[in-house]
Formats: sequence, structure tokens, C-alpha cells
Amino acid sequence: MTTKSNSISDPRYSCAVGATNSVVAIRGAVPIANCSPGCQLKQTAFLTFENGFQGSVYAGAGNMPSANSTENDIVFGGIKTLDELVKSTLKIFKGDLYVVLTGCVGGLIGDDVPSLVRKYHEKGYPIVAVDTAGFKGNNLYGHEEVVDAIIDQFVGDYHGKKQKGLVNLWFETPYFNQNWRGDYQEIARILRGAGFNVNIPFGPENNGVKDWRRIPKAQFNLVLSPWVGVRNAEHLQEKYGQPFLHISEIPIGGEATSEFIRNVVKFAGIDKLQSEKFIREENRIYYYYLEHFSEFFAEYWYGMPSEFAIAADSAYTLAYTKFLADQIGLIPRKAIITDDPPQKFRAELERLFHDLTEGVDVQVEFEEDGYLIEKAIDGVKFSSGKPLILASSWELTIANKKKALFFEITPPSSESLIINRSFAGYKGALNLLEKIYSASVGGK
Amino acid sequence: MTERKPLRQIAIYGKGGIGKSTTTQNLTAGLLELGRKVMIVGCDPKADSTRLLLGGLAQKTVLDTLRKEGEDVALDAVLKIGYNGVRCVESGGPEPGVGCAGRGIITSISLLERLGAYTEDLDYVFYDVLGDVVCGGFAMPIREGKAKEIYIVASGEMMSLYAANNISKGIARYATQGGVRLGGIICNSRNVDREIELLQAFSKELGTQLIHFVPRDNIVQRAEIRKKTVIEFEPASNQANEYRTLAKVIEENRNFTIPTPMTQERLEQILLEYGLMDA
Repeated sequence: MTTKSNSISDPRYSCAVGATNSVVAIRGAVPIANCSPGCQLKQTAFLTFENGFQGSVYAGAGNMPSANSTENDIVFGGIKTLDELVKSTLKIFKGDLYVVLTGCVGGLIGDDVPSLVRKYHEKGYPIVAVDTAGFKGNNLYGHEEVVDAIIDQFVGDYHGKKQKGLVNLWFETPYFNQNWRGDYQEIARILRGAGFNVNIPFGPENNGVKDWRRIPKAQFNLVLSPWVGVRNAEHLQEKYGQPFLHISEIPIGGEATSEFIRNVVKFAGIDKLQSEKFIREENRIYYYYLEHFSEFFAEYWYGMPSEFAIAADSAYTLAYTKFLADQIGLIPRKAIITDDPPQKFRAELERLFHDLTEGVDVQVEFEEDGYLIEKAIDGVKFSSGKPLILASSWELTIANKKKALFFEITPPSSESLIINRSFAGYKGALNLLEKIYSASVGGK
Repeated sequence: MTERKPLRQIAIYGKGGIGKSTTTQNLTAGLLELGRKVMIVGCDPKADSTRLLLGGLAQKTVLDTLRKEGEDVALDAVLKIGYNGVRCVESGGPEPGVGCAGRGIITSISLLERLGAYTEDLDYVFYDVLGDVVCGGFAMPIREGKAKEIYIVASGEMMSLYAANNISKGIARYATQGGVRLGGIICNSRNVDREIELLQAFSKELGTQLIHFVPRDNIVQRAEIRKKTVIEFEPASNQANEYRTLAKVIEENRNFTIPTPMTQERLEQILLEYGLMDA
């Protein structure tokens, strides 16, 4: 019998200092990586390269300023090296916000980074410091730390009025969630269509620090994620007296998205007229396409999956399982969450997987180790026909063994190139169907 | 031709301020008188382990040299010859409150090995290590391939025995992985009541011996002010003979054990028995 060990093979997340990529996702922001040589190369390789080859912008990826701390910085402290790095970065990169992320070296020896950063802050530079030592947690933990640090050290206090209908969207983790750019755009489009003024902290529609300064003015925070970002929303509630709405399931498809809109509108108490009109229009188009698809779905029978297994982060595992089970009628045979959600969120996640659709549920498992994930999928006795496996590139081997249709949805994903892709909302659902059923009809 | 005895690498531990450096240097002076070749490696960022043998704190530390001159360091830049041919090295460390002194010791000892400081003619290498074994860095001298012999300097004062017991936990840990053994407790007397009995009982409980009791004598302080060991300062004094005896018993010591650290309760019980704590 296999027992769980303390080691993890086939990693599915990176470490806290990988949150440099969340900074890259803010327009005009510059991450300053205070860590050892190689740290950021690995983060970039894992989160942006071997994850749909997403690429990067401005001060991201290979352009990122890094302290490249060595033994001297450990023995004598790394503050002098960091000081020089900050000075050079300010000269080379024009930024509206600089975020110093300290990794394991500075964290272990206790370098007083906040004091150094304060010195620059007092000189008027927009700079903040975050403790993202890799041993403290994964990149999702680091992402939440970055958000809180920018709020506390850059945005600061706010005692003015709140703007009705203005909502801050706390959603997928930039780069880690491979469809994040497209998904942010689709959800923002939907919320705008429903009558909201949407403030987006990350991604293509973010307007840089201007949007971050707007955060305290929002009527409320919307956390559209099973757990990442909830801690930030709680912090904002305490700091600015801002209520938040937590929705765990990313809506996919007409039914879920319409319900999502109605929930948000109800929470905000804004006029329903516009949102209902928007829902009608969107559903008309969505079902126009779906009708075409259903004709294919009914007629084509060779190699179509009827069962699936999924292993990915909480957000995508929940959203895709729900859509495939509830809307397409596929049977979930195995659902594994791989991003190590905090204990306090697990019971709710389990409940949501029990409540997928009438008569269909699956006991979700929490597992990070590649060996055990593969073993769990291997143990599923799929009925005849091709099953569908949605997971990371690590699962390619087991997918081949199971003669399954295989589809990468989580890092590492080394056989997909993702630019502007979304599986969320009305439009994204159609993309997801295209992707899955292209595989069924023989394309890859 | 007589066969050369193998090099003995010895680490001296003990609570801060107990007199590790003073004891190490004075006993080294005794070994030097016996014609032994000795190197002392100070493993304390304060870099005061070789002051009495060098006649002052003139030495550049390994880490200072490394910091200022980079990796390309010559051995004679960091190793100085002192009283009676003794070789002295100070590991040094970062400024107080920054960096990692523990890692500094690892860096420093690795550099000494690379530079060839451990020559075949040496009889003894002493590592004078600061205070407690607070982290892996300060345990470097007793890890594989380094000191196999340890002496703990203690006195009849309660906190020094707490520290000695704690240090023994570190030794026991490394003893099971490598060959490191405890050679005994050296009492550097503070003139506490029933000190010798207490130290004997403590040593016995720890599964080791009280290897020597060094009485308190102000001549040590007078010699220190003049930056000398007692043997150099007043060779005919009683205290000089005490250090000669300490050198001799260490030279002849064959009693090496894996310490059996005691629980806090047991330690306090012993302290109570010898009147150090009120019931």
C-alpha cells in the first residue's frame, strides 16, 4: 500500500517568490526580486513558459531585476546588494510602482528589507516590500501577500465615499491560472454588461496604479475563486469597511453565468433592468451556437467521451467539473485538487463537488504529489469508450495508458500555446466545447 | 623513527562569558610547552579567541578578508603565528544584527580547508566556538570530518550548567551520525559553594567526567590585561601549573563518551541537591 511521504514529485505550483508575476500583471509595475540566482528563472519557466508559453511584458521574465544573492549576502547580510539593485532598477525601469519580493535568503537570515524600502519610500518613490520567502508558502500564498502589501504600503488609508456599482474583481491568479487574461476580460465584460463599473487589478484591462488607488472607493469586492483572494477581501473589509461577495465557482455557460450575474446584482442592490436585458441578449447568442453544437453532439457518436477525470488547482477543477457534469452530461470519475487549499476552505469545496447537478457528484480529493495523482487516475475503471482527462502535462503518460482524450488545463502545460483564451462566462464556454470536441473528432 | 600521532581536532563549547577563550589559549600554551604543534580557529564573530597568543587583536579575520579581497585569499593573510609558534585563525563574522554568523563559520572553515591550513605536522586544532549550539553553523566544527573531541567549559553557576546540558544535546545528535564524542567538562571556577561536587555530579549524570577543575585566580585577569597567557606572563605561578595540568590531562585523555543530556527536571533536581536553587 502506498503511503504519503513528505516529498512531492511533479510539482504543480511554484513558491511564494513566484508572485513577482502578479506584479508583472499590473500595468507599469516593476517587480524587484530579492533572491538567489535561478529563483526567478524557475518561476518564469514554471508559471509563464511551461504553462501555455504565455510570455511576459516589460519588467517580467528575463528582464526582471534580481539581487542574485550569493554566499556573501548570506554571511554579511544582503541589504547592500539589494540597495544597489533598487538604485539601478529606479534608474533603468520607469515604473509607477516597485515591489520588492524577498525570497528564502533574506527571509532566513532576517534581512531588514522593510527599513531599506522605507528609506526609498520616504524619498518619494512608490515602492513596497513583501516577504515571500519560499519556505512560507506557494505562489498563491505569495500572490495574496503581494496584494495586501500594495494595499497597506502603497494605496494606504481611505476615508472618502464609496461609489455605488463600482466593484473590484479579485479573480484568477495571474500566469498561474493559464487562461487568466482571457477570463478576466470575459468576466469584466459580463459585469459591465450587467451594469457594473469594474475595477480590475490585474491583466490586459488593468490601468496600473490608477486602478489600485480606486480600490478603496469600490462599493464591494467580488472574490470569484474558491479560496485565493478571500484573505485579501477580508483585509479590505477590515481596512476600508468594504463588504465582499465570495463566489467559489467560475461561471461557465449560459445557465451558470446568468445565475452568477443575478447573484452579484442582488448582492450589490443595483437595478435589475440592465442585467436582465444583458442576460437575455447573451443567452440568445450562446444558445444560438449551442443549438448548432447540440446537433453535432446528438449525431456524432464515435470516440466521444462520457466520463472524465480532472486534476488541477481548486478554481479550474471546480469550474470545469461543474460545467462538464451539469451542462454537457459527462460523468466525473475522479476530481483532484492540487493547489493545497487552506484547511478552512476544504469542507466547502467538498460540498460543492457533492452538489454538481442532480444525481451526479464526486468525492473531491486533495493531493499534490504526482505519483499519487497518477495512481489515483490509474485506479479509475472507466467504462467503455474514450475517457477525457483534464490535467497537467505530468498526466500525459497516464492519459496515454488510459487511451484518453487529454487536455492540459494547469501548469505545467507544455503542449499548448495560450494568448487570449477563455473558458469562462458565455463566450468561454463555447471555446471549452471547441477544445474538448476538437480532440474528439481527431484534431488535437 | 616514532610514528606520528593522528591530528586531534578539539572543539571547546560553553556558555558565553564562561572563559572558553581564556581556557583554550592557556591550555594551548601548556601544550606548546610540551612541544605540540597547535592551530586555534576562533569561531566567534567577536574574533577574540587568539588575543592572548597573538598579543592583541591585530588579526584580520577570514570573513573580513573574504569580504574585502574576494575569493582569492592567501593563507598567510588570515593565519598568523603567535606565542611559541602557535597558528591562529579567526573566523570572524558579520556586523552584529545582520547576516548569518552561523553560515559565516561554515564558509570560513571551508575556506581554511581549501587553502591548506590543516597541515600534516599539526598535533591539535582547537575550535573555540561561541556560546550555545544555536544553529547548524555553530555545530560546523563538530560535524563530519572536523572535531571529534569536545570539551565543555562550565562553572557552578546555574546558567552555565543549563547551557552545558543544552550543548550536550547538540553533541548527542551529531554523535549518532558521526564520531564526535564528549571528552569532559572543564570547570572554570567561579568560587561557588560546593562547586566541585556539583560539577562532578553534573558530569556523572551527563555520562562524562570532570576532567579538570581550574581554580579562580586573579592572575588570569592580570595576564589578560597584558594580552598574555598565564604561562607566558607568570610561568612559575600556581595557575600556570593548573593550565599545564589541564594540557596534560587532555593530552592523556582516553575517556570519550556520547553524552546523556538530562531533562530540565533532573537538572534542576541536581542543582537543588547542591544548594543552587531554593526549594
